[in-house]
Amino acid sequence: MNIAVLLKQVPDTTAKIIISGGKVDENSVSKWSMSPYDEYALESGLQMKEKNGGALIAITCGPDRSKKMLTDAAAVGADTLVHISDEGVSDSTHVQQLLAAAIMKYEADVVLCGKQAADTNAGSTGPGVAEILEATCVTLVSEVNYTDGKYITMRPSNTGSEKVSTQGTSVFAFDKGTVELRRPNVRGIMMAKKKNIESITSSDLDVNLNNSNINLDSQTPPPEKAAGQKFEGAEHVPIVVSKLRNEANVI
Amino acid sequence: MAYEALDFYDVDSLLSEEERMVRDMVRDWVDEEVIPNIENACREGLFPDEWRVALGEMGVLGAPLKGYGCPGLSYAAYGVICRELERGDSGLRSFASVQGSLAMYPIWDFGSEEQKNHYLPKMASGEWIGCFGLTEPDYGSNPGDMITKAEDKGDHYLINGAKMWITNGTIAEVAVVWAKLDGVIRGFIIEKNDPGFSAPEMKGKHSLKASVTSELVFQDCKIPKDRMLPGVKGLRGPFSCLNNARFGISWGALGSAQACFDSAKEYAMSRIQFNHPIASYQLVQNKLAWMLREITKGQLLAYHLAQKKDAGTWIPEHISLAKMNNVDIALEIARVARDIHGANGILDEYPIMRHMANLESVKTYEGTHDIHNLIIGRHITGIQAFTREA
Repeated sequence: MNIAVLLKQVPDTTAKIIISGGKVDENSVSKWSMSPYDEYALESGLQMKEKNGGALIAITCGPDRSKKMLTDAAAVGADTLVHISDEGVSDSTHVQQLLAAAIMKYEADVVLCGKQAADTNAGSTGPGVAEILEATCVTLVSEVNYTDGKYITMRPSNTGSEKVSTQGTSVFAFDKGTVELRRPNVRGIMMAKKKNIESITSSDLDVNLNNSNINLDSQTPPPEKAAGQKFEGAEHVPIVVSKLRNEANVI
Repeated sequence: MAYEALDFYDVDSLLSEEERMVRDMVRDWVDEEVIPNIENACREGLFPDEWRVALGEMGVLGAPLKGYGCPGLSYAAYGVICRELERGDSGLRSFASVQGSLAMYPIWDFGSEEQKNHYLPKMASGEWIGCFGLTEPDYGSNPGDMITKAEDKGDHYLINGAKMWITNGTIAEVAVVWAKLDGVIRGFIIEKNDPGFSAPEMKGKHSLKASVTSELVFQDCKIPKDRMLPGVKGLRGPFSCLNNARFGISWGALGSAQACFDSAKEYAMSRIQFNHPIASYQLVQNKLAWMLREITKGQLLAYHLAQKKDAGTWIPEHISLAKMNNVDIALEIARVARDIHGANGILDEYPIMRHMANLESVKTYEGTHDIHNLIIGRHITGIQAFTREA
């Protein structure tokens, strides 16, 4: 079984984001990390591989810096590392085309990814790739097991949770699950260092990146948090209660 | 929350990618598993067993040793591991130092093939804890006059004597103990259940509270003949172990210093006095600037020493300088950090007082601060000043 896991390198959730000239200044990002939902997809992919055998192909589309994340994936057990250059990419549909082409090139049977990336939060990769592959897609899954030719997944429903099974090529977009993420170890890190990263471009994949209909015009930081308010003495209790109820909406 | 370390000169960019990956692995583990639990471990005075398991699983024990199931990393990686562990607690780093540099290293360097195959894989995996017995109640800086002795009884050795201040002693399966055989210092491997051997824990420490410290007592302790380390005689044996451990400490102390700096900076930025954060006052900025200055110098010292260690161009005096300097500045940084924290600095809500108390031990063990000065003094002048005898 070939298991493809789609990964994206994003600014670490603790990194400070600076907007400069209406765009996020990528050079100011102090730390880049694997998008947290993708970590769950990777862990589930590793468990699937351990249970059913096969190979795990870690695929990313991004700038050169994202190769480091592939090495991190190798340190926990990814077998094949594929880096697709993001040159010429201008929107999510381009990324989806490239990822789908790589998934076909590496003959993956099943595709795992995060439900959304922690930077753009678009949530379009899983469904978009499935659309191109004409594959089944299940989103917001917390676990996937492969038994008797079926993928059995758990996802939330409006009454609790639901069990969904699929057959054939399937794409699963992961939410944060209950699985515990594994840590790398020294042996894994030393093996990862020796692992080759296969770098490919859109032309290697025969993908023609058409003109995009979408343009990201500008980005703005979230509004600054208002200063805290301080109340002292019992006479302020009614005011505090009313603020907690009407402004903070917590009681 | 990913930890962002003070690295003013970007010294870590000089590390290899592999070394940085090891750093991040240990750093994340310390953030997630050690820092939330360390104060409790100190209050209870115990070394959490799950930390032993995790260190073994990460594969960092005996970091620079190659073969026999050992990690085979560089000395720079070993240094980084020590630094990240000690940012959590000096007791945790002590555990790793003793296991790797003081217990595994002598077996790896001076042991027989059988000894290496028997002990090292289980020690690298953390299954067996090791300890190191050199210091005695009456012989600390002067280990050459040790009393503990071994006698050759034909088909076995008989060990008599006592060792003191032994990290991991009570919890160890394996003790590497230095004793005199016919007046010559030799290394012996003692196992937990050897007859005549006991390792009572020393209680009442105000320092390294999350680390186990013990006495080792030998009363006609009988061990098989194949337990002596064949490859070394004299003080060179224990001293070569200490060189490696001291190297690790020179990095480790920077971890403590960084933890104190981080806490002092954060506290100074948020503590308001006279309507402004105390970080806006010149005296506090002066203290923070001094901390950053000393940490940065210490980082460069440690990094360059690691390069020399990996290249094999080091001398013991290089290690003495780094151990002495970096522990010294770390302790002073802890004290100044306590000052910046005001009364809050004495609470275990902040890591300051714990690091400070730990560093008092670190300043003394593995060659006291003064002894390292004498080592360097001898190097400068050619005159030894340890004893009054010529």
